[in-house]
Amino acid sequence: MSTPRVRSALLGYGLLAPSLFGVVCFLLLPMLVVVWLSMYRWDLLGPIRYVGLDNWRSVLTDPSFGNSLLVTLLFIAIVVPAQILLGLAAAAMLARELPGTGVFRALYVIPWICSPLAVAVLWRWILAPTDGAISTLAGQRIEWLTDPTLALPVVSAVTVWTNVGYVALFFLAGILAIPPQIHAAARIDGANSWQRFWRITLPMLRPTFFFVSVTGVVSAAQVFDTVYALTGGGPAGRTDLVAHSIYAEAFGAAAIGRAAVMALVLFVILVGVTIVQHLYFRRRISYDLT
Amino acid sequence: MTSPRRSNALIYAGLMVAAVLTVAPFALSLLTSVTSAQQFATGTPLSLPSPPTLSNYTALGDAGFGRALMVTALMTAIITLGQLTFSVLAAYAFARLEFRGRDGLFWLYVATLMVPGTVTVVPLYLMMAEMGLRNTFWALVLPFLFGSPYAIFLLREYFRSIPDDLLNAAKLDGANTLDVIVHVVLPASKPILATLTLITVVSQWNSFMWPLVITSGERWRVLTVATAGLQSQYNAQWTLVMAATTVAIVPLVLLFAIFQRHIVRSIVVTGLK
Repeated sequence: MSTPRVRSALLGYGLLAPSLFGVVCFLLLPMLVVVWLSMYRWDLLGPIRYVGLDNWRSVLTDPSFGNSLLVTLLFIAIVVPAQILLGLAAAAMLARELPGTGVFRALYVIPWICSPLAVAVLWRWILAPTDGAISTLAGQRIEWLTDPTLALPVVSAVTVWTNVGYVALFFLAGILAIPPQIHAAARIDGANSWQRFWRITLPMLRPTFFFVSVTGVVSAAQVFDTVYALTGGGPAGRTDLVAHSIYAEAFGAAAIGRAAVMALVLFVILVGVTIVQHLYFRRRISYDLT
Repeated sequence: MTSPRRSNALIYAGLMVAAVLTVAPFALSLLTSVTSAQQFATGTPLSLPSPPTLSNYTALGDAGFGRALMVTALMTAIITLGQLTFSVLAAYAFARLEFRGRDGLFWLYVATLMVPGTVTVVPLYLMMAEMGLRNTFWALVLPFLFGSPYAIFLLREYFRSIPDDLLNAAKLDGANTLDVIVHVVLPASKPILATLTLITVVSQWNSFMWPLVITSGERWRVLTVATAGLQSQYNAQWTLVMAATTVAIVPLVLLFAIFQRHIVRSIVVTGLK
């Protein structure tokens, strides 16, 4: 006869078994495997060979990986502030709750719902130099994606275009959660709408700013589809975001060990960002949008 | 001081500009997809197709997009079903049962939220290759089938808020755990289940990097991979390529149109894709 405690444990582990299998096999084990792989050389076909810290040395001293990290940093520095500013502006307009606002709010989210790969392919046509939408409308050839100075800003702009509506939702929820009495009191004290925005709305949105910044950084650091379809990392590595360079190293150059090192570097950076997030943001903030 | 009417007009103008910037690329792409290649070569992107043609879509069928659509739908359905089922079971155990090691395991699950997909692609590829599962349907779905720590996290919070009386009443009636989950817990959790379903469908339908590396050829090719392949193969045939992006995008836009209110809510509640 089993005691109730044993039965409860059996039941608990029984219910957990499938997800535990998934977590161990497809999340924890890969993390061990990637550490292990970082010390081996493998070209996807031949035998796997131990090389110690060779991969680490070669990746960390490789200027093209340095370039990739720098490009990613620049990309984050353009995308995150831009989508926050535009998202805040959109939210401020939506927060007036004029008739028809719901339709606009829904429209703005559509790019974010869509497949990033399909969206990038779509923009590749719009930006195509000879028969693209913009070039034909403007009547002149513009090398949006192959000009070394334009490429990264353009890839960033497409990413911002995709994300603005999503970021706006969080600001909208934040703005609507501010008790109307605070605004009413300020109005009685003679504050105009501009002053109220700067002195009340913005400071009260501080948690939202933090949330959209951190999630923005973590997701921008992993952008892959957009670069894959728009530029393939070019011209001359100017848009070689780190997720794309991991992919190219592993499945283009067939240097799995080096790709593993690059993935681990990205992992350490992302965990760093997440830890910062937790230090400042212990409690998850959830908003209710009605 | 600006009058309220004038400032409202300004706001509508701003909202309209943003809406046009959002919708225009989709509209142009949709128009191009029903334009014949000949007319595309001579007209401008704004000229209306005359007559509109479905020839690009039939050409997609010849390029194997029908199969890609089926594979994508099947992959999305199976992963969503598996992920929700196993996440519900795990969340129930974490939320409603007492056993040794429960809290430690829960924190292990939460810790794995920090593992990004970009980092696990390379080792998962090696593991699948070692098991001989490269370019199989199993390889597409296995890594995501057994539940998602994030879904478990959200469901656990929800299950904890279900009143004890509701569950105890069912147990007194002799219901076993599975009965309790199916007949009491699930009906009480419809909003969060709908949220998770929508979010999982969207992210799986759109997934690209994993299918790209683990499949090859037409057999298990999903829509995103097929679209990318078409674009690099027929770079100049934009009418065809825009038909492909439309096929990849439209099902989700329709889903969004139907569940718009719920999806918008879900995004804010979960904060994640």
